[in-house]
Amino acid sequence: MRTGVVILVVAALALVVPRPVHAQLSFDARRIGMAGVSLGRDGSARRYNPAYRAVKNRSGGGPGQAKATIPLPLGLVTFFQDHPPGGWSSDPMFNPDSAAFNPVELMNLVLNPPVFYQLKQAPTPTNDIEFTIGKNQLIMNLGQTRVLIPEQRFGLGMNGRLLDLGFGVGGVHFGVMGFVNYEIEFALDTALRRVLRDTVGVQPDSTYRILTDAVVQTGFMPTLSFAQRLTHGKGAVGADSTESADDGIYIGGALHYYLGGTYARGVGPMGFTVGNPVFGAAPGVLLDARMQTSNKPFGKGVGGDVGVAWISGPFEVGIGVNDLGAELTWSDTKIQRIQYDAAGDSISVTTTANHVETKTKLPISYLANAAIRMGTGTTVGGDVFNAGRHTVIHVGAEQRWGPFALRGGVARDQRKKMQFGFGAGIRMGSFGLDAGVFTHSNSLGDTRAMTLATSISVY
Amino acid sequence: MKAFAVALLVVVTACGQGHAIFNVDVYSFMQGTGKDTIPYFIPPATPTTVSTVQKITLPPGFGSSIVDSVKITTGSANLENTGGSGTIGFQLFFASDSAGTYTAPMALNIPATSVTGTQTVPVVITGDISGVVDSLFRQETVYMRIAATGTNSGATPVTGEGVMTALIIRVVLQDKVF
Repeated sequence: MRTGVVILVVAALALVVPRPVHAQLSFDARRIGMAGVSLGRDGSARRYNPAYRAVKNRSGGGPGQAKATIPLPLGLVTFFQDHPPGGWSSDPMFNPDSAAFNPVELMNLVLNPPVFYQLKQAPTPTNDIEFTIGKNQLIMNLGQTRVLIPEQRFGLGMNGRLLDLGFGVGGVHFGVMGFVNYEIEFALDTALRRVLRDTVGVQPDSTYRILTDAVVQTGFMPTLSFAQRLTHGKGAVGADSTESADDGIYIGGALHYYLGGTYARGVGPMGFTVGNPVFGAAPGVLLDARMQTSNKPFGKGVGGDVGVAWISGPFEVGIGVNDLGAELTWSDTKIQRIQYDAAGDSISVTTTANHVETKTKLPISYLANAAIRMGTGTTVGGDVFNAGRHTVIHVGAEQRWGPFALRGGVARDQRKKMQFGFGAGIRMGSFGLDAGVFTHSNSLGDTRAMTLATSISVY
Repeated sequence: MKAFAVALLVVVTACGQGHAIFNVDVYSFMQGTGKDTIPYFIPPATPTTVSTVQKITLPPGFGSSIVDSVKITTGSANLENTGGSGTIGFQLFFASDSAGTYTAPMALNIPATSVTGTQTVPVVITGDISGVVDSLFRQETVYMRIAATGTNSGATPVTGEGVMTALIIRVVLQDKVF
């Protein structure tokens, strides 16, 4: 039973894997081989830049642009060999009753779906944790698990659009999109970080805190969008299916009317305080959080997306900004204060206000992309992406010689860590076989992992 | 305390397949409270036992865990004899409440040490108490009784104090928090 619950939780988490993973998870081995940069006009460009709705997909074999990409999930073969589906109830990976069950390993599985072959997996801390407890002493030696303690503010977040149903006439499009946004951020104060990371003993008469700010909101948004080609470049005049056919400036915009389904927000410090000596008395628990939850759905707000793209021969650049001014007003909200009650050694929840109006914001996201296709078979591109958290930068290049291609790239991920990619491909008529290797830090820990992605492209 | 211990549990959970090890410096809690001293007065030909009981608090939530081992890794006492000749031995008992330590099976026996006249004799108290007390160390609270049992083969009372100078219990768990 509990195994089933764990599997359901894993599935649910997989649906809402945080933005850093989405940013780096692609099923296209060509993109992966360039450390995540996309040289084509794929879904990311259209998602974040409404101007791209007016740009034609490059068809007829523009370099590096495939009609479809089919991943070769070699990693699943290995995964199902190691974890046969029929045996999950007794598999330590999924069975919390097993002595070998490791929640960190399970979370790493969620953060790193095993679609592709893992050349080097991020190590899962499985070491011993040692506590030394005395009247004036508390030392926590977390061993390898120390890598799980973030050095800076640590957060998970996603600002996603789940579906886009609608219809369009000309450059105008009307549709309904779902949105889900969550931002969870923790910040350990220096003292607590030293205790957990550096095995420094807890000092008498000290306070240790984690500051938490978490918000979850979801809903849907009727959207009216517009995209138009403003100018036709010189190369586009009379051009047909050539690289210059799309020359011009494109603009786009979208107006959203946000209808929030529900939201919750919790803000406050958690921690503990110790006396002198450390265990002279029971450590005091610090918890004084404020919780806001919507009583009723339909938080309302208005926001918009704007974007522009400029294509000139081999050069292309675009920038799109999403959720500008997206502030939702929730007319019926309950505000609660959550405190630790030392007398009862329990947590008390008191309602400080009810049926009041509160507001939430959706983070502004932006994507800036650029690419240049040189006549020598070389294509270089890059993008800068931010979904309300840390900025992600990708830079990559592809060199083609006839049917062969070599690729490489670097990226700075949301954790400000440099990542690398390289790959190669061969095209045979309408099909291409590509492989890409990339490093990533999509796990609970600081160690990089390395994955080999393989895919077939249909041109 | 419960909430603080729960926070520790979160950390322990993150160690996954590894062990959770608690080195509990029991002596530090006894020191200066009087519980670290066991005065003895043993009349001639009258074996006598005197005890001190100490409460040990452990993090909660390990009820389903498997106790790998419980050992007294560091332990020592001084027999500060002030008169008479005889022997003093130590026994350790563990139970879930204070009274239970008087009926619990002995977990550790330190052979008797001879004392005579005015002298201080150091005694080492270490040993593996796994098996006898495993289930107790999955609980939040354990009581430990240190008993000093003395014999007197002489004609005058044996008097003095057993003074604890160190006692660290090492508990190794395969944690199963879920």
